[in-house]
Amino acid sequence: MAEEAVFDFIHMEAVSYVFQGGEKVSEDEAVSKLEHMGFATGYRLVERLTRESGRYKDELDIMKYICKDLWVTVYKKQIDNLRTNHQGVYVLHDNRFRLLTHMANGKQYLQYAPRYLAFTCGLVRGCLANLGVTCVVTAEVTHLPACKFQIQVQRG
Amino acid sequence: MTKDEEAKLMYGMIFSMKSFVTKVSPVDLREGYMSYATNKYCLNLYETPSKLKFVLNTDTHAQGIKELLHQLYTQVYVEYVVFNPLCPLNKPIESELFATKLDEVVKQSPAYASRPA
Repeated sequence: MAEEAVFDFIHMEAVSYVFQGGEKVSEDEAVSKLEHMGFATGYRLVERLTRESGRYKDELDIMKYICKDLWVTVYKKQIDNLRTNHQGVYVLHDNRFRLLTHMANGKQYLQYAPRYLAFTCGLVRGCLANLGVTCVVTAEVTHLPACKFQIQVQRG
Repeated sequence: MTKDEEAKLMYGMIFSMKSFVTKVSPVDLREGYMSYATNKYCLNLYETPSKLKFVLNTDTHAQGIKELLHQLYTQVYVEYVVFNPLCPLNKPIESELFATKLDEVVKQSPAYASRPA
């Protein structure tokens, strides 16, 4: 219980650190820094977490791994819903994203919510990159604490 | 009087009461809980190890306020303010979720349930 708190607080501080410049720092710059941090973390994290398991059969298997094992390791719960169009676009629904549950239950703070999702987007992108899947990950939130992560796989 | 003035008055009262009590009392202030009662109301104070003060004014018959204040601290304040990156700890709390949860916890407490009608 206490260990989760450490990650939560460090993440909070990372977000406020990146936005420290005030007017000089643009939202996009700061968010992409967070995403980059997440990417590097995810890249190494997946190496450490999949030490024992064999190669994954296909892309869908890799996505299921992200939804189940990765989310459970980092956020202590699974992704609630995974959708795909079988053409390289996957949408992950989390109805109670851990980093947002303590913030609000509805629309309050909605404009600040994307800042707290950037690191996770990078984390997912880094994990997938090291598993051999190049992609772009974006996040969307309309009703806290539920959020959606969209993964678009780059092919060819 | 405005909320600000009331808060200052309350803080002054609590500060002087606490220093009076610690000087006069033969035992230490137990676990940060202190209360005084007049014939109209009762003021309950819970002070956390981090010097945060929770004050609740109740009627004279309310019971179990110490546990209630402790519960409010751990289950509402820590969960929804300390963990909320958008709540600065030195400003008035603006989170609606905090207000909702606070309401819930107080309404479910036995002290609220046994209030005179």
